[in-house]
Amino acid sequence: MNVTTNADRLVTQVLAGEVWPPLGDRHGFRVDPDGRPFLLPGMGGVTLGVHCGDPATGYAGDHVEPGLSVRHHDPAANYALQYLSCIGNTVTVSSGPGAPAAGFVIGQHAYVLVDVAEPELRQVTSGDQVTVLAVGQGLALADHPAIVVKNCSPRLLSALAGGTGAGGRLEVHVAARVPAAAIGAGAGMASEYANTDLMGAYAGLGSDLSLGLEGLRIGDVVAMTDTDHRFGRGYREGWTSIGVISTGSCQLFGHGPGPSTIMSGPAEAFALVDDADANIGVLATAPAGRPS
Amino acid sequence: MSGEEAVVARSALGLVTVNLAAVVEQASVGADPYRIDADGAPYVPVGDGGVVLGVRLGDGAWAHVGDHAAPGACLVHADPAAGYALAAQACIGNLVTVRTGAAAGAAGAVIGKRGEGGRVIASFAQDVLARLRPGDQVAVRSRGQGAPDPAPGVSLRNIDPALLDALPVSAGSGVLAVAVRAVLPSMIVGNGIGRPTPMWDLDLQLTPATAARHEAAGLCLGDLVAITDLDARFNAGYRRGWLSVGLVVHGGSPQPGHGPGVTVIATGPAGAFAVRADPAGHRGLSEAAVAEAVAAGAGRELS
Repeated sequence: MNVTTNADRLVTQVLAGEVWPPLGDRHGFRVDPDGRPFLLPGMGGVTLGVHCGDPATGYAGDHVEPGLSVRHHDPAANYALQYLSCIGNTVTVSSGPGAPAAGFVIGQHAYVLVDVAEPELRQVTSGDQVTVLAVGQGLALADHPAIVVKNCSPRLLSALAGGTGAGGRLEVHVAARVPAAAIGAGAGMASEYANTDLMGAYAGLGSDLSLGLEGLRIGDVVAMTDTDHRFGRGYREGWTSIGVISTGSCQLFGHGPGPSTIMSGPAEAFALVDDADANIGVLATAPAGRPS
Repeated sequence: MSGEEAVVARSALGLVTVNLAAVVEQASVGADPYRIDADGAPYVPVGDGGVVLGVRLGDGAWAHVGDHAAPGACLVHADPAAGYALAAQACIGNLVTVRTGAAAGAAGAVIGKRGEGGRVIASFAQDVLARLRPGDQVAVRSRGQGAPDPAPGVSLRNIDPALLDALPVSAGSGVLAVAVRAVLPSMIVGNGIGRPTPMWDLDLQLTPATAARHEAAGLCLGDLVAITDLDARFNAGYRRGWLSVGLVVHGGSPQPGHGPGVTVIATGPAGAFAVRADPAGHRGLSEAAVAEAVAAGAGRELS
């Protein structure tokens, strides 16, 4: 993205995390939109076979978390890990036979989610230690003071298309525009934590549930209409938030593929460019950026 | 047994009444006194749980400088699982009896519930509230979940069906007729969406400034509201052509994604309801109706 930032003033912290196992309870089942019970994989652990650019929906899963799902065992240290990890940050596997495989953060979902290439991913399992080079919180756009940037590494910003455009607006390429009616669980929570579930993307279920979002892909950059995510996730007419789809398929009602927020501002501060290729998969080949 | 027969059979089952133990909540905050409002300004939350005096059913939803302030006392249980059971099983209209402390022997009624922490909101007379102290033990006479459908296609949640008579709700002519303060679009719903309706309220992302656009500027505690395109039978979520009706159980919040809270009482296809909005003259759950419910409940104790 062609834009002037304060990236040279940002601080990088080295954060420890651990691949966290999927968690269950003794009842197992949850309930889908039509009241049917389901028991499906999704959250936690190491999820194979789903990477940036792959479909976000269509899996027999619930809250599918691509790649590694990472937490820290200490609650306060975990909040630091969740809040400070930014999309595009480099993550290295530090223990186990998968070390020293590297990947990058694709978002938060009460876990930090890390995309790692499939051959290396197969060597990692729950309990393995990872190291996150966390940099990005505090990133600001000098020529776009109305836009708040969060959860976005300088590396991601550099890799995205667009930038300062005509009339001083920020051109952002987006794969989809999300109507406010799609905003599900995650509303009212801190926008540096977890993500915003999108309803209306229940592939294979009733048309009365659809908001036309079944075509989303993991890593897609999307625009959320009438949302203000500067200080938490809320509905506000005339505001726009930009997110990256970091989680996939849900069967749980009121949930769905989820964007992690990277920008928020008045709608007029953005010039959205519809672009089916707007996806953070570009990070797989993007320059590592500083520090590295 | 066919599915339809199963539904009919279930509707003929008797409701189960359970005595639940709870304690009056102490409001709590974290190490940092501030929360951040929708415009980025820090504020100290007041009235978010615990015993709140001076906030009454019928007061404006934004009449007080509070954050999620409810008209009465919040009830909790120290054990998380018992707290979830409390929240799931307590229903609007249930009798609440104070068992310990200076208000022992006094009675109130459940008027709603709040999400995440497993909290039940109970209304008491102001003189009783003033004698309540966090930690006082209460009993909730829970009854209502599993109530039969009041009209074809309409599911009840979170309300003792006996209390429906105290609300502008009637089940004649094959549909559920409901008078509400406002009809709101589902996109207004913030915190609570995607959560189980029997244990979680739905916050309306409205401020005094934005409520007017939805003819909801006069929103009051105890009001009924209708939310379009929302199916709240299990989790609350978007479903085109559905409608959910609920009771406003706590006041506004400066936090983004939060606002006056609605405990859902009925949900179904929109065509199963006849909704009439009265932005100026609506009257929902009143303190008088609560007092009658308490008297009726206490009367059953004596009989």
